[in-house]
Amino acid sequence: MRLLLILSLFIPLATQSYASENLPTSGKLQQAVFNNGVKLIVEEDHSAPVAMVQIWLKVGGRDEVPGKTGLAHVFEHMMFKGSKKLAPGEYSRRIAAMGGNDNAFTSHDYTAYFETVPSDRVDEVLSMEAERFGHLRLAADDFAKEIRVIMEERRMRTDDDPNSRMFEELSSVALRLSPYRDPVIGWMQDLKHLSIADVRAFYKAHYIPGSATVVVVGDVDFEHVKRTVKHTFGRLKKRPVAARFNPVEPEPIGPKRMVALLPAQLPMLAITMPVPVWHPGKNDAEAAAMAVATEILAGGRSAILNREIVDKQRKAFAAAAGYDAFGMGIDLWFAYGMLGPKQTPEAFEKAFWATINHLKKTGPDKAQLAAAKRRMIADEVFAQDSLYLRAKEIGILETIGIGADKRDIWLATIRKVTAKDIKQVLKRWIRQERSTTGLLQPEAHS
Amino acid sequence: MKRIVNYSLVLLLCFSAIPAAHAVPPIQESRLDNGLRVLLMEAHNVPMVVMRLTVPAGSYLDPQGKGGTASMLASMLGDHTRKHDYVSWADLLDAQAIRFGVSASRDSLSIGMTVLKEALPEGVDALTEAALMPGWNGKRFTILKTDAISAARKSMEEPGIRAAQLTARTLYPHHGYGHRSGGDVDSLGRLKLADLQSLYHHQFKPRGAVLAISGDVTMKEVLKQIQPLLAGWKGAPEKVLKDTAKPEIVRGQKHHVLMPTRQMTVQLSRLGPSRYAPDFFADMLLNHILGGGGFASRLMNEVREKRGLVYGVYSYFSPLAVSGPFVVTLQTRADQAEQALKVVQDVMRNMYDGHISQKQLAAAKANLTGSFAHRMDSNAKRVGLMSMIGFYELPLDYLQVWKKRINAVKLNDVKDAAARFLNPEGWNTVQAGPQQGKKKT
Repeated sequence: MRLLLILSLFIPLATQSYASENLPTSGKLQQAVFNNGVKLIVEEDHSAPVAMVQIWLKVGGRDEVPGKTGLAHVFEHMMFKGSKKLAPGEYSRRIAAMGGNDNAFTSHDYTAYFETVPSDRVDEVLSMEAERFGHLRLAADDFAKEIRVIMEERRMRTDDDPNSRMFEELSSVALRLSPYRDPVIGWMQDLKHLSIADVRAFYKAHYIPGSATVVVVGDVDFEHVKRTVKHTFGRLKKRPVAARFNPVEPEPIGPKRMVALLPAQLPMLAITMPVPVWHPGKNDAEAAAMAVATEILAGGRSAILNREIVDKQRKAFAAAAGYDAFGMGIDLWFAYGMLGPKQTPEAFEKAFWATINHLKKTGPDKAQLAAAKRRMIADEVFAQDSLYLRAKEIGILETIGIGADKRDIWLATIRKVTAKDIKQVLKRWIRQERSTTGLLQPEAHS
Repeated sequence: MKRIVNYSLVLLLCFSAIPAAHAVPPIQESRLDNGLRVLLMEAHNVPMVVMRLTVPAGSYLDPQGKGGTASMLASMLGDHTRKHDYVSWADLLDAQAIRFGVSASRDSLSIGMTVLKEALPEGVDALTEAALMPGWNGKRFTILKTDAISAARKSMEEPGIRAAQLTARTLYPHHGYGHRSGGDVDSLGRLKLADLQSLYHHQFKPRGAVLAISGDVTMKEVLKQIQPLLAGWKGAPEKVLKDTAKPEIVRGQKHHVLMPTRQMTVQLSRLGPSRYAPDFFADMLLNHILGGGGFASRLMNEVREKRGLVYGVYSYFSPLAVSGPFVVTLQTRADQAEQALKVVQDVMRNMYDGHISQKQLAAAKANLTGSFAHRMDSNAKRVGLMSMIGFYELPLDYLQVWKKRINAVKLNDVKDAAARFLNPEGWNTVQAGPQQGKKKT
């Protein structure tokens, strides 16, 4: 779970259930790299005549410069506005005609375009994806309309949602250098000043074959897909790939606090701090322990935060925490409490740190630890049921630089986590003096 | 590279030994002695099972002024049982990695779970224990109720929720569908444990209920596990689905809920088709062309693509035991709300006047039929479909003939559907946002 919002082109009406990824039944990953740097990863699954195609790019919010936030996400919209051979809207029209669904999402670390289609249409989809990737139209009048849509998207997701607005502000107060301090959708002030020239320059700099990974999961044959990708993405002109912006976040020198006065009904208190992400071979035990610790605190029905603070002490009506080991540089670990009319931020905050400190001292008991690991591994099995989630895990691991072939190592590492690892990781990283605390405080008259 | 090639050969050989599973898998049906219907689709590709028990105890039956009764009943059933207090219950589910979920919608209440194949016996035990051995712990009721009230208060920050509340109230003034299933701050405040118990005792019965299952299991295995556990569960619900009152027609109502937002959330609504509507597939295609088909839909094209007025604009209908709501919803900067609303009404009127082309119909059919496999490509989706088919007693070959039914719809059928539903005069309008004319960017 990542605090930082991931945006998509539109919100589909029907929501799907269930989250997370694989293991015992995960298929074999088959990979190929083409001369221009495009990478292909295929996981065959012939259980239904459907395939998920995802195009992953090593470009996202972190690749923007100050004053131009929101640019990476603009592409999520402009990619549907036509290319040399595709008229505006034609892409979605053709996907719809084959019974497909298409959408896209952008984070700080990546941009991905995806479609679920009947498996016999994968070639056509790949050819269209390569066409718009290499020859995007980027017309000024399309951009002028689309930037207005994006401003509406920002109003809906952030400006008119007090919780989301508070988290946006909190991220930028908590972090000093990490690009996670700026919202992926962009600050409204920046959106108002973006120009088509900015968009074209960004396209030229970042939409290059060496940044792209094609992921296909479903009822396909690897050799066949490889030939198709060779003749589509493989033909795009090779261009040099620049290193991505990834500064080292300075260690916090003391606790920070902020208050967001917004027209909310009830307060919310959130506590965040930068923590390490997974660097395979370097901090396996630490990252896995952080993931298991967060699951014990906030996952399942026996989640400690919920049991202690909501059910027993009654200091909040809901509590949660989140950690994402799969990111670049750092993760912004978070916990929050939703406060009812008679519950105070002070009491919640005190209860939160008391709960964390207790866990630091005693560690989880055997049953807690075993249950948390079993749930995390079960979730991987449950996720095998979704082509979307399977392709997404491959894409994320590949795009942030971990490598899709490392996914089984992650679960093996989770299995090895001990109670001592959990105490250590909490003692080292989850500390009040490293934290930034944000309060959403309802405006006096709302 | 060579190794990869060899790999794929091995894989192909393996898969060729597995019989092709590409036809629609049949729904297997069984009925227990107590009347409970069990529907199953086998899928052995992932070692997991998804199950959902659906009973006719939806929020439609919430007593007057006590919206949220069914929803709180669901929370209580999921929270603890007669045998396990909330702590030991949570520990039990978590230790077995049983993902457990309860919810209430307008027509039904459901208890569902996702479980590893290896923990299926424990999962079945848990599901039946939650359903048949409610704990009715008064202290837990007070805590869950208090937290539900806080959550309802918090949700008042969301324009979509406020608009949906007002739409339900507007569209169903004297009907059980007239509130959101979760209830609101006031209605939840009035709930007593006895309200939940009463709903449970009258409605939580095996007749009219459905247990839908998808996953790595056979009917024989399922029956062997559930029969002894459910043997003592007996009876029929006091109110059955087909007794649901027909809602009266409401049209032309306009309401506004003031909110300190930048955007206006606009919701248009009218009564839509029921699950049993004779022209259901024509209605479905109509909605797909209007605003249910994403970027291919006319509303998305006119309001977003051509004019850049919104991020999202959709239409949908919820087919229920009787006419469910047919809704069009959008959000736009408050000073553009009237303009956006007018575009929506123009699209409706245009379609109402019969301007729907053969090409649009063909595109909608192609999208719906082409997406068929994708609509049932996971255990969770299959359980959702079977629960719906079973609960509303639709024919069990519903999925087998689905594509055929869609392809059989003629252009005139869709034009007739437009004539039934899309006269803009027949719709109600609800807005959530600042006062008209006030601009705040």
